[in-house]
Amino acid sequence: MIACEEITKCYPMGSGRKHVLKGLDFDIRPGEHVGFLGRNGAGKTTLIKLIGGVEMPTSGRIRRNMSVSWPLGFGGGFQGSLTGYDNARFIARIYGHEYREIRDFVEDFTELGPQLRMPVKTYSSGMRARLAFALSLAIEFDCYLIDEVIMVGDANFHKKCHYELFEKRGDRALVLASHSADLIREFCDRALVLHQGLGTLYSDVNEALDVYASL
Amino acid sequence: MNTLPGGWRIQRRVVGALMVRELVTRFGRENIGFLWMMVEPLLFAVLVGILWRFMKGPEEHGVSIIAFVASGYIPLTLFRNAVNRSVRVFSVNSSLMYHRQIKILDFIFVRFLIEMIGAMMAYLFIAILLGMLGEFPMPADLGALLMGWFLYCGFTFSLCLVLAPLSEMSDVLEKIMPVTTYIMIPFSGTFNMTSWLTPSAQRAMYYSPFVQGMELMRHGIFGDRINAQWNFGVPVAASMICMVIGLAMCRRVRRELVVE
Repeated sequence: MIACEEITKCYPMGSGRKHVLKGLDFDIRPGEHVGFLGRNGAGKTTLIKLIGGVEMPTSGRIRRNMSVSWPLGFGGGFQGSLTGYDNARFIARIYGHEYREIRDFVEDFTELGPQLRMPVKTYSSGMRARLAFALSLAIEFDCYLIDEVIMVGDANFHKKCHYELFEKRGDRALVLASHSADLIREFCDRALVLHQGLGTLYSDVNEALDVYASL
Repeated sequence: MNTLPGGWRIQRRVVGALMVRELVTRFGRENIGFLWMMVEPLLFAVLVGILWRFMKGPEEHGVSIIAFVASGYIPLTLFRNAVNRSVRVFSVNSSLMYHRQIKILDFIFVRFLIEMIGAMMAYLFIAILLGMLGEFPMPADLGALLMGWFLYCGFTFSLCLVLAPLSEMSDVLEKIMPVTTYIMIPFSGTFNMTSWLTPSAQRAMYYSPFVQGMELMRHGIFGDRINAQWNFGVPVAASMICMVIGLAMCRRVRRELVVE
């Protein structure tokens, strides 16, 4: 389970501070799929970064009793000057996995071929997303944090993600930040609507989508 | 996973992986690869040593001038490189914060470790090379040499722990760093023994942790041929104070670190 207790997050802005999150309290249970809804700048990405431990909350606490992936988003987690293979080797090392297994899975999942021998900074966002997904799927987490990025891929990537994430790993917990109502409706059990720094968790996804549409 | 041996295993794994990553990004895999890390201190020590040899003659105060300069310059380059490489180390590596097992102290430690290993390799290489030419003595007391080296390294690392978070808090630090590292050369014991100085200068040098480490190293190399004076209190106390302050500052910077 992941328990978020009274978390707030402020960023310095000019001479003052910007309060992005003003006290959120919720749990993510094992195997549960939670959608994050909110307009641009509502704090979806910030919240995912806090859950993933990339940034620290200004106050409050996040307890993680299951393994949580790093946030799979547009950037982050890679060293641009290193090749795809080097990044895979690095990830394999820090997570204590056998590099060969990771490499085989990455080659198969990304279908990037010789491009894996090029620096990651030369990749398109779709190619990065493939690599990030492949690596985090190969490591196997109890909970995956997905920030929008699922949308950038092509149809073939969607099909693969669908199979690997929702079918093969359907028992894992999932946090999905997205503006796509279809995606949230299809895959999420609950949804958190973020608005003006506060969050409301709805057990009925359709209700959450209605609230979100009216914001 | 949270047990002590488990934590130790993760720590070793992370430091190893970060070392390889840092070496590959900095030096690449072309030509001599990671061996580049010892080239800079090596060139500095040898070339400055040769320069002094021609300016001041073969010996100073009864010891080979090349050996004396080399034994001073390698710790000095370690200090300068380590300090410069700890500037903005958190923002440069912030993408690594995506992986929770990597802590910000690992960045500082890994960068320091690379400089230290490079400097030690350069030291060994120079000692053997100059030793074969009869310009570098067999260390009189290897234990003292290593002790002095680790005192010097310990203080340099503690200083990095303060400077790294400080460079994130203020941009001024980055600008005044080069001139500061230059100004502190007379206080580093690089080019002279304390006993060669005037009594009032000697009293001032007593409080420099670098001088204490350097004197001990020089004693380890040249033995009784030079008059070395050192104490452990100053470098150990200075290191501990810097370390406590540095750790507290690192913790604060981590809380406010913004990752793209």
